Amino acid sequence: MKRMKVLPLSLREKKRYIAFKVIHEEGEDFPQEDLISAIWNTFLDFYGEHGVSTLSLKVLKDLWREKSKVGVVRCNHISVWKVILGLGLISRLGDTKITIKILKVSGTLKKIKETLQQLKK
Amino acid sequence: MKFFDMHIHTKFSEGESTVEEIAQMAKRLGLAGVCLVYYINKFKEREELEAELKEVEKRYDIKLFMGFKARNLKELRFLVEKRREYDFLFVKGGDLKLNRKAVETPEVDILTHPEFERFDSGLNHIMVKLAKKNNVAIEFNFREVMTTSKVTRSNILKHLRLNMMLCKKYGTPIVITSGAVSHWEMKDPLVLSSFGILLGLDIKDAKRALSETPMKMIKMVRERRSKRWIRPGVRIV
Repeated sequence: MKRMKVLPLSLREKKRYIAFKVIHEEGEDFPQEDLISAIWNTFLDFYGEHGVSTLSLKVLKDLWREKSKVGVVRCNHISVWKVILGLGLISRLGDTKITIKILKVSGTLKKIKETLQQLKK
Repeated sequence: MKFFDMHIHTKFSEGESTVEEIAQMAKRLGLAGVCLVYYINKFKEREELEAELKEVEKRYDIKLFMGFKARNLKELRFLVEKRREYDFLFVKGGDLKLNRKAVETPEVDILTHPEFERFDSGLNHIMVKLAKKNNVAIEFNFREVMTTSKVTRSNILKHLRLNMMLCKKYGTPIVITSGAVSHWEMKDPLVLSSFGILLGLDIKDAKRALSETPMKMIKMVRERRSKRWIRPGVRIV
């Protein structure tokens, strides 16, 4: 089957990557799946289906750091503050109380990966 | 840029966290300082509380301020009389008479959630103008949005947006706070500034509500608590 031609760069959506850290209660742990479902539920509750569709939100599962509880979400460049606010609305994951700290907002995945590398050190 | 969260409750008021837990979390979130809010029943113990704040302040290298919140006119009168003995004076919004009295009183620093448990926004153009005249900041509390849902949340957001529009129009000072009752409810300054943008501020104004406005208030508090200060506009040179 013939593949669809990709959009030219000027017509593609501008992406932003937001790295965040989940600060949680000591001794309590949570799986990544809980966080992903909490993100989607909170965003759908707050912005609604139509609102979420305008964010181009994606949780990047591969960049999740289990040990340091650092994750990355992707959105379009005009919705950065909406996504940051949505992340701030998450206060619990099951029985674990959490709060989220925003580490970096970047336009390239490379820079975000560099930030994650620096955190490791 | 230094960010401040001006409304946090400890276990000594309606909260559940210790001063140390709050200071630790503030440091982790990158805040430069927080104001801890107490009720009038702790007024007699204010010296012990202040000593504790100073000790924690040194340990975590973070600014901690002590504020008292008036919940009715009687408490407000009492706290206005003793204004020089603590840092910030808050008034619990919601009651229309108390909202009006708060914006008419120059000793008041912050009117907290004026729309609290109301069917309207709790403020009108006259009250907002008075707040500007008397330099009373209007608070926009993130916790109200975080802890509610569905119809209640949408009504609160509607009222907050209206209050924000009035404050912007008349140039009334604005502060955005987490209103946390536990250190787990404290928020990253970026989250709080995003909340300001949601309510109609631009990025610069949203950051100003977390940084410049609280810093101006802190400067005024320091002046007021110095021995040289007599009353607004009058001090010993």
